[in-house]
Amino acid sequence: MTSAAGEKDGERPAVRRRKVALLWLAAGALTIVAAAGLLQLGAGSYGMTWRQALAALTDGLVWGDQATLAHFFLGRDLAHGLGFGDPGTLPTETLIVWTVRLPRVLVGIMVGINLALSGSIFQAITRNEMASPYLLGVSSGAGLSILLVLVLFPALGPFLPLIAMVGGTVAFAVVYAIAWHHGASPVRLVLAGVIVAAIAGSLQSALFFFAKDIAIVQNALAWTTGSLTGVGWEQVRTVAPWTLICVVLALSGARYLDVLLLGDSTAKSLGMKVEHARFLLAATAILAAASAVAVAGLVGFVGLIVPHIVRNTVGSLHRHLLVGCLFAGPALLVSADATARLLLSPVQIPVGIVTGVIGGGFFLYLMRRRQDFGKL
Amino acid sequence: MNPASSPSTSWTPGLAGTGLVVRYHKHQPPVVAGQSVTIPTGKITVFVGPNGSGKSTLLKALARQLTPEDGSVILDGRDIATLPAREVARRLGILFQENMAPNDLTVEELAFHGRYPHRRIFESVTEEDRRAVAEALCLAGARDLRNRPVSQLSAGQKQLAWIAMLLAQAPQYLFLDEPTTFLDLVHQFDVMELVRRLNREQGKTVLLVVHDLNLAARYADHVFALREGRIVASGTPAEVFTAATLRDVFEVEAQIIRDEASGTLWCMPTGRCLNKETA
Repeated sequence: MTSAAGEKDGERPAVRRRKVALLWLAAGALTIVAAAGLLQLGAGSYGMTWRQALAALTDGLVWGDQATLAHFFLGRDLAHGLGFGDPGTLPTETLIVWTVRLPRVLVGIMVGINLALSGSIFQAITRNEMASPYLLGVSSGAGLSILLVLVLFPALGPFLPLIAMVGGTVAFAVVYAIAWHHGASPVRLVLAGVIVAAIAGSLQSALFFFAKDIAIVQNALAWTTGSLTGVGWEQVRTVAPWTLICVVLALSGARYLDVLLLGDSTAKSLGMKVEHARFLLAATAILAAASAVAVAGLVGFVGLIVPHIVRNTVGSLHRHLLVGCLFAGPALLVSADATARLLLSPVQIPVGIVTGVIGGGFFLYLMRRRQDFGKL
Repeated sequence: MNPASSPSTSWTPGLAGTGLVVRYHKHQPPVVAGQSVTIPTGKITVFVGPNGSGKSTLLKALARQLTPEDGSVILDGRDIATLPAREVARRLGILFQENMAPNDLTVEELAFHGRYPHRRIFESVTEEDRRAVAEALCLAGARDLRNRPVSQLSAGQKQLAWIAMLLAQAPQYLFLDEPTTFLDLVHQFDVMELVRRLNREQGKTVLLVVHDLNLAARYADHVFALREGRIVASGTPAEVFTAATLRDVFEVEAQIIRDEASGTLWCMPTGRCLNKETA
């Protein structure tokens, strides 16, 4: 990947080159998030110019009033509970940007972060470039458990991320158990993942027949393809704490991921408790994927292609790779969501369709181009 | 450094296994069958034996890479099974026969991984880590390679890079499982000379599994010969490498030639022995 030429001496050129690459990647990704985000804030049935959108986003009536901010970020009940007063009245532009469009962008950012981190971790702990929450069946397992709740036990709504995590864990355990045969080869893992995902998908469809009314079916259908349509501050509040936890856990696990890439024996000989570490890292990855699934449904391929692109840019050291994913994940998801919402306007398509088309194509391209595809 | 390493009782240098039984499959005979072995401190010890004789397995059991079904290993006066994993790793490093690393990992980054058992969870790289890595790269002769990706090195250079990682770990005991098997002649000597230097100059206790009897004869202070999970001979190369033992262990007829100038032994296999019972 990196060339050995021109590396005579000096201050660790490989490391410096990767840091520069990471800076560029972060800058590029931030630009994309800002551009796509601003487009999302401005465009829609109530059109605004990007200046208007920016003005609405930075409106002093919101930022200057703690009560209004608290109502958005904490929710009405918690804001009242903490003694904040009622929010002020806002102009239409500000109201639209803040109540409808901004939360969608924020959820997109966090879902992008979670899926990218989850994919990176899965790829490292399975030592498999093809691993991702989607291809390992984790997303589908999480999805099935969520759909069960939506259709059969709607009262459990607030616990969606945890329920999704249980479903994802079960799916991952099943996939790993099926694939395990003197170690889990990349191809066996993905095959087992695809099969488990197919089974979970069938069961999801079967659940539609138990739905009480057509609105639930429509909602569930949009949700199985992965959609950010209709997400609001409630979803921001649902996913934000888990995102924060996953980012902290993932970044503190960076060194463990690096050592795991040296193989289990070497990791063990260096004093790592390999099974513990792999378990905790897998739990982090499942939590990240499950919380993303809980708010956005089954958005495919983000967890596959983002780590791949970032690794090709900044290298495989996880303290660089994971930080790169924090920027690149949102860039892909927010721009894909802008495409999904605005490309065929007024028809909105689920973001999962866009990432599926882009990601699936990218996956095929990888398979064709790389002969040793799969092994990390 | 680590609370566990604070000597409540003193550490007595030495490594020994007692009554070790290792089995890979329940219904098959053990790979190591109740063996006791004391690794001489400050020496180069070599395990030899035919394929499947259990020499690598015994090495891994002594390094706590495998959990024995029965028996115990005492490392510096403590039962190795009760020591924290990092404590073991600070005392004992092991180089495996086959290794893997990400494509773009440089030699220096690999060496820094050797500092893993010395670092706490959120601790960043310390000055001591840097010094240890620089010294390890120098000792292993991999200093000039430090910015090159490990994946692009030749087999011999790769081995030096991995030994550098092992040295950054700063263990007293160095275990190397067939470090020369995939190397051409000149690199076999490079690695073995390095091993000897680490023993003679750094005082490391070295345990090797080696296939080539002549390398073993040349570099070992002490040899254990294994066959079917048992130690069948042990002693200096001169004591172990006899025609009778080679017949017994390897089922080959061999001539032993002593090079009087250097004092080394040469084993010249002349053919297989058909009936080992005649030994």
